[in-house]
Amino acid sequence: MNGGAGSGTAGLRIGVDIGGTFTDLVAIGADGAIRTHKTASTPGDYSLGIETGLRALLGAEVVDEVLHATTIGSNAILEGKGARTALVTSRGFRDVLEIRDLRMPRLYDMHWTKPPALVERRLRLEVGGRMRPDGSESEALDQADIAAAVRLIAAEGVASVAVCLLHSYANPAHEQAVAAALRAALPGVAVTASHALLPEIKEYPRTSTTVVNAYLQPVVRAYLTALEARLRALGIGAGLQLMQSNGGLASAQHAGAFPAHIVESGPAAGVVGAAVLAARLGEPRVITFDMGGTTAKAGLVEHGEVLRAEAMEVGAGVMAGARLLVGAGYMLKLPAVDLAEVGAGGGSICRLDAAGAPKVGPHSAGADPGPACYGRGGGEPTITDCNLVLGYLDPAGLAGGALALDAGAARAAVARRLAGPLGLTLEQAAHGMLQLASATMMRAIRAVSVERGRDVRGCALLAFGGNGPLFAAGIAAALGIGRVVVPPMPGLFSAFGLLLADTEHHATRSLRMRLDAPDAGALAAAVDGLVAAGRAHLAQDGFAPARQVLMLSAMARYVGQSSELTVRLEGSDAAAILAGLAEAFGAEHLRSYGFRAPSEEPVELMGLSLIARGVAARPRLPAAIPPAAARVPARRDAWFADIGWVATPVCDRAALAAGPRAGPLIVQEYDATCLVPPGAAAALDSFGNIVLSLTPG
Amino acid sequence: MSAPDPITAELFRNSIVALGDEMALTIYRAAYSGVLKNIMDYSTAICDARGRLVAQGLSLPGHLCSIPVALQSCLRHFGADIHPGDVLTMNDPYDGGMHLPDIFVFRPVFAEGAILAWAATICHHTDVGGRVPGSNASDSTEIYAEGLRIPPLKLHERGVPNATLLRMIDRNVRLPGRVMGDLRAQLAACEIAARGIDELVARHGAAGVRALMDETMDHSERLARHCLAELPDGEATFTDWIDDDQIDADVPIKLVCTVRKQGTQMVMDWTGSSPQVKGAINNTWSYTAAASFTAAKSVMSINMANNDGVFRCIEVIAPPGTVTNGVLPAACAARGLTGFRCADAAFGALAMLYPQLVFAASEGGNTGITIGGYDAARRPFIYVDFLSGAWGGRPWADGLDGNTSMFANMASFSVEVIEAENPLEVLDYAFVPDSGGPGLHRGGMAQQRSWRMLAEEGILQVRSDRHTHLPYGLQGGGPGTPSQNTLNPGPAEEKLRAKLTMQLRAGEVFRHRLPGAGGWGCPLDRELHRVARDLRDGLVSLAGAARDYGVVAAGDPPVIDETATLALRARLRAERPPGPAVAWRPLHEKEPQTPPIGAPHPRPDSSE
Repeated sequence: MNGGAGSGTAGLRIGVDIGGTFTDLVAIGADGAIRTHKTASTPGDYSLGIETGLRALLGAEVVDEVLHATTIGSNAILEGKGARTALVTSRGFRDVLEIRDLRMPRLYDMHWTKPPALVERRLRLEVGGRMRPDGSESEALDQADIAAAVRLIAAEGVASVAVCLLHSYANPAHEQAVAAALRAALPGVAVTASHALLPEIKEYPRTSTTVVNAYLQPVVRAYLTALEARLRALGIGAGLQLMQSNGGLASAQHAGAFPAHIVESGPAAGVVGAAVLAARLGEPRVITFDMGGTTAKAGLVEHGEVLRAEAMEVGAGVMAGARLLVGAGYMLKLPAVDLAEVGAGGGSICRLDAAGAPKVGPHSAGADPGPACYGRGGGEPTITDCNLVLGYLDPAGLAGGALALDAGAARAAVARRLAGPLGLTLEQAAHGMLQLASATMMRAIRAVSVERGRDVRGCALLAFGGNGPLFAAGIAAALGIGRVVVPPMPGLFSAFGLLLADTEHHATRSLRMRLDAPDAGALAAAVDGLVAAGRAHLAQDGFAPARQVLMLSAMARYVGQSSELTVRLEGSDAAAILAGLAEAFGAEHLRSYGFRAPSEEPVELMGLSLIARGVAARPRLPAAIPPAAARVPARRDAWFADIGWVATPVCDRAALAAGPRAGPLIVQEYDATCLVPPGAAAALDSFGNIVLSLTPG
Repeated sequence: MSAPDPITAELFRNSIVALGDEMALTIYRAAYSGVLKNIMDYSTAICDARGRLVAQGLSLPGHLCSIPVALQSCLRHFGADIHPGDVLTMNDPYDGGMHLPDIFVFRPVFAEGAILAWAATICHHTDVGGRVPGSNASDSTEIYAEGLRIPPLKLHERGVPNATLLRMIDRNVRLPGRVMGDLRAQLAACEIAARGIDELVARHGAAGVRALMDETMDHSERLARHCLAELPDGEATFTDWIDDDQIDADVPIKLVCTVRKQGTQMVMDWTGSSPQVKGAINNTWSYTAAASFTAAKSVMSINMANNDGVFRCIEVIAPPGTVTNGVLPAACAARGLTGFRCADAAFGALAMLYPQLVFAASEGGNTGITIGGYDAARRPFIYVDFLSGAWGGRPWADGLDGNTSMFANMASFSVEVIEAENPLEVLDYAFVPDSGGPGLHRGGMAQQRSWRMLAEEGILQVRSDRHTHLPYGLQGGGPGTPSQNTLNPGPAEEKLRAKLTMQLRAGEVFRHRLPGAGGWGCPLDRELHRVARDLRDGLVSLAGAARDYGVVAAGDPPVIDETATLALRARLRAERPPGPAVAWRPLHEKEPQTPPIGAPHPRPDSSE
C-alpha cells in the first residue's frame, strides 16, 4: 500500500518539514540531484503551504515518496485545539489523569500552575470490573456502567474516547469489550484503547499517553486527509509517510490511528539524518547539535542508531538542565529520539540579573521584534547581535542578503545593556555571552552523553540548524571533541533527514520475570507475539521478509530497583536471551552508572521492546551532495579571544573543494554560517560535508 | 587571585550547579529504593572546604540546609584526620543529622594537597533497623528504638571500604541489599562530583576554584538581599498546630513562628513552640530551618541558586528542647509531619506580613502509610506510601488539585505496581467532593486512596494529621476538610484515629482521605463560572455550592440559577459574620464548637 518505502522506482523523493515559521522542502532524484525550497508556513491549514511549496519545486516528475515531519500534534496540544475527548477508566480511578504523578517542575514557586487535564472531569467515566496483575479477572465488567458511559458520551458531543482500564497490559479483554461497545454504539467517534497503544504497567503513564492519542486523533486524521487530497490533486499518488518521534517513518494510516507517535516529528528527522550520515562516515559515536532561533537540541547516535528515551513530555516548553524536574507538560510513555533541549538560540536575549550577573535566555526575541540588528524595535541584545558584533555574521544580511542586518544597532545594544554595566569591552561582552550560550548548550550535550555514561571526547559533533555551525567548533573544543561535521544544507537538515529515514514500528510489552527464576516459555510467547506483530505491520507496509529488520531489547533492573535500563538483545531465542541477559544488563549498568552490583544480586526482566524496521530496496543516501556556490565577500574583520580583530577570509562551501583551509575562516552559505576559529581547520569530504578538525583545548 | 571577571564567574556558577544536578541524576537513576526515587527523598551538593553549601542539586526542599550542618559536624570530629580516598558517613540527628533513615555520605576533593571541596549526598534509606519495618514509626519515644545510630565515621579510609562499619550496617537493617545499593548510588554521585571538580581545578586552578566558589555564594546572597529589600519591613507571628504526637493523644502541639523582616535580613524565630514531645516527631534545627527557608524563598521574587549566600540572609532561631529542635533522647523518625507543619506556620506568618504573596494552608503535608507482613508464600512485604497533594487557595488563583506539596517534590506510587508487588488491592484514588476550602479562590481538593488486604494479615501504620486542626483559610476563605481514616467504609464502617498502628486482616479495607486545602478570600465573591465549572466537574456538590458559595443550581449537568444565587448570597452575607483573616473552622458553622484543649482560639494569636 505504500509503494514508496518498499519499492524502488526512480522518481523523486520529497522531504517536507513544517516549522513554526517556514515549511522546508528537499527533493532528491534517482540521480542524487537535490532541489530545495523554503516557503512560509500556513497556520490554520498547514497543508496549503505544502501544496504551495510542491508547486514551486516540482515539474512533471514522478514522485515516489512524500516524507513528512509536522508540528500539528504538538501545536494542537500547546494551543488546546485537540478533539473533545472522553476517558473511560476503572471504577475509582477517574482522577488518575489529573492527579498525574503529583510531581511539579518548579520548586519554591507559588505561581506554578498545572497544565489542564485534556479530559474534563465530567467526561472521565468509570466502569466497574477488575483484572488482577496476573491477568485473571477479579470482578466482571459492569455492562450497565458501559451503557451509561455511552449515553453520556453521545449527549456531550464527544469526538474521541480513550479507554484505559487497570491491568489491561496483562489482560486486555475488558478494555477490548469496552472499546467494541463504544465503537458499535458510537460510529464516527474515534476510540483509542490503551493496550493497543502501550501494553505496559503503570496506570498514569498509560492513561496519559492514551488520552493524548485520543485527543489528537481526529485533528491529525483530518489534516492527513486534507494533505492527501492536495497531493492527489497535484498528481502525486505516492504514499504519504510521517516521521514519528522515535525516528522511524510510518504510513499516514498508521500515524492517523496513533498520532501520539508523531508529536516530536521534526526534531527526530534531523537526528535520523545524522545517524545515516554517521554510518556513512564510519563514525561510531556522533553527538547531534541542532541550534535554531530559540532553542538548541542535542542527541546521540551510536553505531548508526539514534539514542532513544522511553518517555517524553509534550508541551512542556524548555527546561534547561532540568531532567529531574518533570510535570510541565503531558506525559507520553512512548519511545522518542532522546533530545535534550535548552533555551539558547540566535534570538535568545542577553540580560543582567538583579545582582548584575550576565544571563542568556531562555527568553527569546523571536522573529518579531527579533534581535536588535533586525531593526524592528528589539532593543535587547541577542546571541545573533553578539555574533554580528564580532564579525561572524555578514552585515549584508542573512539568507543571502534577504534579511539585512543593522550592525550599528547590534553594537549599541551590546554596549548599553551588557558591556557598560559589566565593565567589559564591547567585544569581551559579546564574546562572553556567546560563551555563556555555549555553556548552556554544552549542558544539553552532557545530558545525552556524560549523564548516560558516554565519554564525549570520542565522539564527533554533527552540527546543523541555522546557528549550529556558528557555535560547533567552540563547543567541540571546550568539550574535548576533535571532529565537527557540518552536513550539506545545515539549515534544512531536518527536511533532508526525512529522506534518509526508514519505516519503523516500535512496540513494547510488560513482562516481569526474575532471571534467577526464569520462565523460558513465557518469554518465548512474549517475544513471538511482539515479533509476529512487527512483521505483520511491515508486511502491510509492503516490505518482503528479506527487507525486515527486527531489533529486540529488554528492560531490566536489579531486584529492588525502581527504574529499568534498556539492554539490546541479539536474536530472539528465549533460552539464549535468558542465558546472556544478566551479564549484558550488568555491563550496561556499569557503563551508565559507573558501577554494577555483585553477581549474586538478582536481575529482573520488566519488559520487552521491539523495533521492526523496513529497509528500502536502494540506498536512501546519495553518494555525494555537490556544494552549491554562494556569493560571499573575500574577507571580513572578525574578533577572536586572545587575538583580537583579524581580517578573516570568507568563502563558500564549494571553495573548500580546492583543499583544506586553516582557521580563522568563515564559511558562508545561504542557510547557515560556519565559523572556523584559529587553530581549527576545515575540509570538504567526498560526500559534501564540511569537516572541522580541532586541537582540543 | 583577583576578583573573577563576570563571565568566568557565571560560567563557573553554571558548571557547579550543573554538577550538583548531575549528582542528583546519578542517584535518581542508580538508586534501588522506590522511596528514594519516587519521592526524590535525597539531596546532593557541593560544599567548600569549610562545609559551606556552594551548590545543591534539584531535589527535596526538606533537605535544604541539612548538608552543611552534618558536614560541619564531621569536620569537627575528624579535624585534620581526613585524607585522599576517605569517605565519611553519619546519620545521628544529635550530631548534625536529620533522622536515622537519612544517611549522609561525604567525599573530600583534594587539590594541591589540601581539601578544596566536598561532594555531599543525603538519602532517605528504606530501613535502618529499629522496632518497625521502614524505621519510621511515629510512636517511638526514644531514639534508641528507631534504629542504627551512626556517628560521624569513615565509610572508606584512604580508598579502602570500612568492612567493620559495612557489616554492622548490613546486620542491623531489614533490607541490606537495598540499603547497600543506595549507598553505592551515593558513592557513585560523589565520584561524579569529584571528577567534575577536578576538571574545574584544571581550568581555574585550586585558588581560582576557591575564589569562584566564594563568588557563587556571594552572588546568591546579593540576589537574596535584593529580594528582601523589595519586601516591606515588619514583624508577624503565626501559630499552627499538630493534632497530637500519638503518645499523648489529643494533646495539640503548638508551632509558633515569628517573622521579623528588617532591611535585607529576615529572622524566623520559633520561640514559643511546644516543648519536645514523647512521640517521634521532634525536628532537628536543620529540619525546622529547611521549612523556614522554603517558605522564605517562596516569597522572594527571584529563584536564586540555593547556597550559603541565601542562608546568610535568613536567621532561624529554634530553641533547644522544643519540638522545633529536639535534644537527646527525643525520637524523631516521623518528624516529616513537624516539618510540614512548620512550613504551614512559616507561610502563615509570611501571609500575615505579605497577604498578597502567600497562599492559604495546603493539605498539611504527606500522610505516611506502611503496610507490612507476609504474603501467601511467607515472603515478607513492606509497602510504604506517601500521599499528598493539595495547595491552598492563592491570592491570585485557586489552589492546585493533585500536586505535590511545596515542601517535598514527591511522586505518587503507581496503583498497578502496588498491586503487582504486594498482596493488596487498591480500590480508588480520587478527589473527594466538597473538600477544598471554599474561597474566592478555592483550596485544592482532598484525595482518597483505599486498600483491601489480600494476605492473611499484616500491620497497618498510618501517620496523618490535620484531623482536628484543619488547614486554615485566609482573608475570608474557609478551611479545608479534615483528614479521615476509615476501616471498612460503608454502613458498618469504623472511624479510626489520625495516627495508628493496627492489624489488618484479609478482606478488610482501609481508606485514607487527605485533608483538603484552605481557601483564600470570601467564597461568596467567587465568580459564578468558576463555581459552575466545579459543579460540572463534580468537585462541588449542589448542596456544597449552596452552603459554601451561596450558589443555587440544579440539573445534570448543573445549571446555576443566577437570580436565586444573588438572593442567597445577599442573605448569607447578612447572616454570616465576615470570614476571619485566618479561618480554622468551616465558615457555615454558626456556633463554634468547644475547641479541644489547647486548640486555636477563635482569634488566633496572629498579629499583623
